[in-house]
Amino acid sequence: MLDVAALTAALPRWCAAMHDAMAELNALDGRLGDADLGVTLDKCATLVEQALPDMPDTLEGVFKRCAQATAKASGSSFGTLLTVALMTGAKRCAGTTSLGRTDLAELLTDIVHVLSARGGAALGDKTVLDGLQAIAQALATAPQDAALRPAARQAARDALDAFRDKPNRMGRARMFADKTIGLDDPGMVALQRMVDAV
Amino acid sequence: MKKILNDPNAYVDEMLEGLCLAHPELQRRGDGGRVIVRSRGAVPGKVGIVTGGGSGHLPVFLGYVGEGLLDSCAVGNVFAGPRMDDCIEAMRAADSGAGVLQLYGNYGGDRMNFDMAAEMLEFEGMATASVRVCDDVASAPAAQGDKRRGVAGLVLVYKVAGARAAAGGTLDQVAAVARKANAACRSIGVALSPCVVPESGQASFAIDEGDVEFGMGIHGEPGIWRGPLKHADALADEMLAHVLPELALAAGDRAAVLVNSVGATPAEELYILYRRVAQVMAERGVTVVRPMVGRYATSMEMAGASLSVMKLDAELETLLAAPAECPFWSVR
Repeated sequence: MLDVAALTAALPRWCAAMHDAMAELNALDGRLGDADLGVTLDKCATLVEQALPDMPDTLEGVFKRCAQATAKASGSSFGTLLTVALMTGAKRCAGTTSLGRTDLAELLTDIVHVLSARGGAALGDKTVLDGLQAIAQALATAPQDAALRPAARQAARDALDAFRDKPNRMGRARMFADKTIGLDDPGMVALQRMVDAV
Repeated sequence: MKKILNDPNAYVDEMLEGLCLAHPELQRRGDGGRVIVRSRGAVPGKVGIVTGGGSGHLPVFLGYVGEGLLDSCAVGNVFAGPRMDDCIEAMRAADSGAGVLQLYGNYGGDRMNFDMAAEMLEFEGMATASVRVCDDVASAPAAQGDKRRGVAGLVLVYKVAGARAAAGGTLDQVAAVARKANAACRSIGVALSPCVVPESGQASFAIDEGDVEFGMGIHGEPGIWRGPLKHADALADEMLAHVLPELALAAGDRAAVLVNSVGATPAEELYILYRRVAQVMAERGVTVVRPMVGRYATSMEMAGASLSVMKLDAELETLLAAPAECPFWSVR
């Protein structure tokens, strides 16, 4: 279950993980694109940290405040997608005090649809959407009493394994699709670091 | 990393500060100062043209804000798209009531932020149009031309659209001629050495001392092949072989040619390249109009060059020749 206390408590861990992952994500991104994924998320984390002292006390408010922070950080594509995902979270959580397992799965599915419409990627293109979809599915089908964090982490890992040997079909990585076979998608790795942390 | 800077995280903002001090015809706007506008303000009755994109490519993008060119630019971090808020601010600054054309390179982050900005401003009743320049033939096959990146050909499209807007064109007319110019332009680049993104401190890619990356993008995106650097004439021939077929230039046609340094390559080497390009054009009976040789779209200290060719009709040629003035370029 996700409520505002759990979400607020997870934010510093998320920020720390993004700082820690900066070099790794830059290096991964540099093999396919412009090597700024780590920098982008590091900036997002710094601005979220600055917003921590005055976080609102609703799920909607926290998602919105985080979206405002990440929107200020960067216009890089992954940063923008993160902002759009957080805005979707805010909209869906309006008037809600907690999200259960199926609510979270539905929220993630919504986010996949919104990001696909905004960014132009489809499921199967080997992007962060495939990782999000895998987590949504894992949560939707998990047993009632299952621990959700381990299920989400495992789903993100499984998605990385499943897509490693497929070609990227989106973004800069698309241009040399065959060379991406065997390489992890940097956005999917970023998602893995996020779910591992929170 | 060996760069002239103070704080890597202040790279863009200190650059903008210095640029506006050196060129008082430009001013910074927005809560973070990441919007560049003309100091004289939007021109009443004229369609506004706004661009934007990551830093690290001067004179692209913000350097083409000026008379007969662009009205404003939303500035991102090095190689990162501009923020949506800055796209909105740039569009407001460019708007004098005749509508605003978004004209920028085809990159994912830029597109998302400009699209969201347009949606926000359309709520307020602003008339907007959008053209994304996609001239880099190395970045996707012709059948997927709308997936290609925008590179140095941007400059020629800016010039055409800017002249049409200055001549009193409507938003539809300016957008249409920008699309036409984009459709008539093809580019390809080669890289000899990488650049370093200041915030990460790392080279954007690694390349062996004697090698060239053929078809590389302006952020270090991998190209078509990598191998030993060829002689300039062979390189020019291969660049032309990628750029010319889709343009179907015939004897008697006229074309604009831009031979561009992506940063570290000196003008001397550009002229060696241009010499061969001009020979081939002459052999084909194509007249080169207004050759441009210099630093127009860069990747900081990356060494290499790009070739852009735009097939001209009378309208495009007239618009390219119209007067323009910006900090990095003037046409008289």
